[in-house]
Amino acid sequence: MGLLNFTREPVPEAVSGDMHNLSQLSTQQFSELTEVLFRFLMEPKEVERFLTQLSDFATMNKISLGPLKNIVKSILLVPNGALKRNLSSEQVRADFIALGLSEEKASYFAEQWKVNSPTLTRLAVGQTLMINQLIDMEWKFGVTAGSSELEKVGSIFLQLKLVVKKGSQTENVYIELTLPQFYSFLHEMERVKAILESFS
Amino acid sequence: MAAMRDGEFAALQSLLKAPSRDAVRQLCQECFSSPPTGLGPLARRACPGLALGADEAEQLVSALHNLTRHVVYRGLTRAEDILSLFPESFHQNLKNLLTKIMLENISAWRNEAQANQVSLPRLVDMDWRVDIKTSSDSISRMAVPTCLLQLKIQEDVALCGDSPVVSALTVELSKETLDTMLEGLGRIRDQLSAVANK
Repeated sequence: MGLLNFTREPVPEAVSGDMHNLSQLSTQQFSELTEVLFRFLMEPKEVERFLTQLSDFATMNKISLGPLKNIVKSILLVPNGALKRNLSSEQVRADFIALGLSEEKASYFAEQWKVNSPTLTRLAVGQTLMINQLIDMEWKFGVTAGSSELEKVGSIFLQLKLVVKKGSQTENVYIELTLPQFYSFLHEMERVKAILESFS
Repeated sequence: MAAMRDGEFAALQSLLKAPSRDAVRQLCQECFSSPPTGLGPLARRACPGLALGADEAEQLVSALHNLTRHVVYRGLTRAEDILSLFPESFHQNLKNLLTKIMLENISAWRNEAQANQVSLPRLVDMDWRVDIKTSSDSISRMAVPTCLLQLKIQEDVALCGDSPVVSALTVELSKETLDTMLEGLGRIRDQLSAVANK
């Protein structure tokens, strides 16, 4: 096996056997299995659903679930590595062929990869580390009518509640701003938006 | 701030023993700014300068604190209004001096009261930076801009007294989050304009 694009590490022994078994599936079966796989890749949290669909596929095509799971594990190595390394569909196709999959099936999978990779890339970017991510903002503003020190006030206050994700918990931060501060804050945030847009 | 009692005005007349008008001015300032708990120590400090006994000093300081705070509370800006607070029998010149001092300071004192009022933690400063994320463990090549916003927040002034506690919170915003936030801020601005134009 030559150098692979999706990984620099040696591939587990079982993979070539799994690829061989995979090649035995009909075109129709392979296309169905690919669909199940990509659905999972698009929504990696839906593990239950994925396992159910695999089990249904196994039953309908009279394949034992155990070997099927192994095959799936081997297949998934490629798209996962491809995503990390921003591989093109040609590179994905080449890797599958190098692993022992038939040309026809490799091309089909690579085609599906091409179609789905923008969404998958966005998903991967979304999983990238964020520090103290701001997830929500609530606000209220009003007028201070009076206080214990001043009978009549009549000044405007603005209160913000920022919900910040710290690790796996959320923290609420409450702040009060004066009107000039609010306008200055708004102005700064508009500047940031313009800059972020120029980079997109 | 309740109105002054007659006994308190009597205590104020101790100011006649003050060495100078400036001394009176200074004491007025300190009595206004001091919280009720700080009046004891203030009285003790004022004693020697005013040639007063401990009790007299305490009563004076307390009365002056109440008078200045009352004037600020009511928002009295006209000389007549302040003069009318004093009883008939009060020393004329001292009354005029105190009124003059209070009129000079009322605006600064009002600002001080407002700055110290009860509030949520206040925003005191804000800084930001835009980073471009080029790589991560989930994807080795990307060019994703992101904003880091640092807010400096000061805890309630009343709780901290003289040493305000300022904490810094750094928050990361994606472009989508920023857009949503700006939508919210825009709505606030629109509502503020609507209120202002009423």
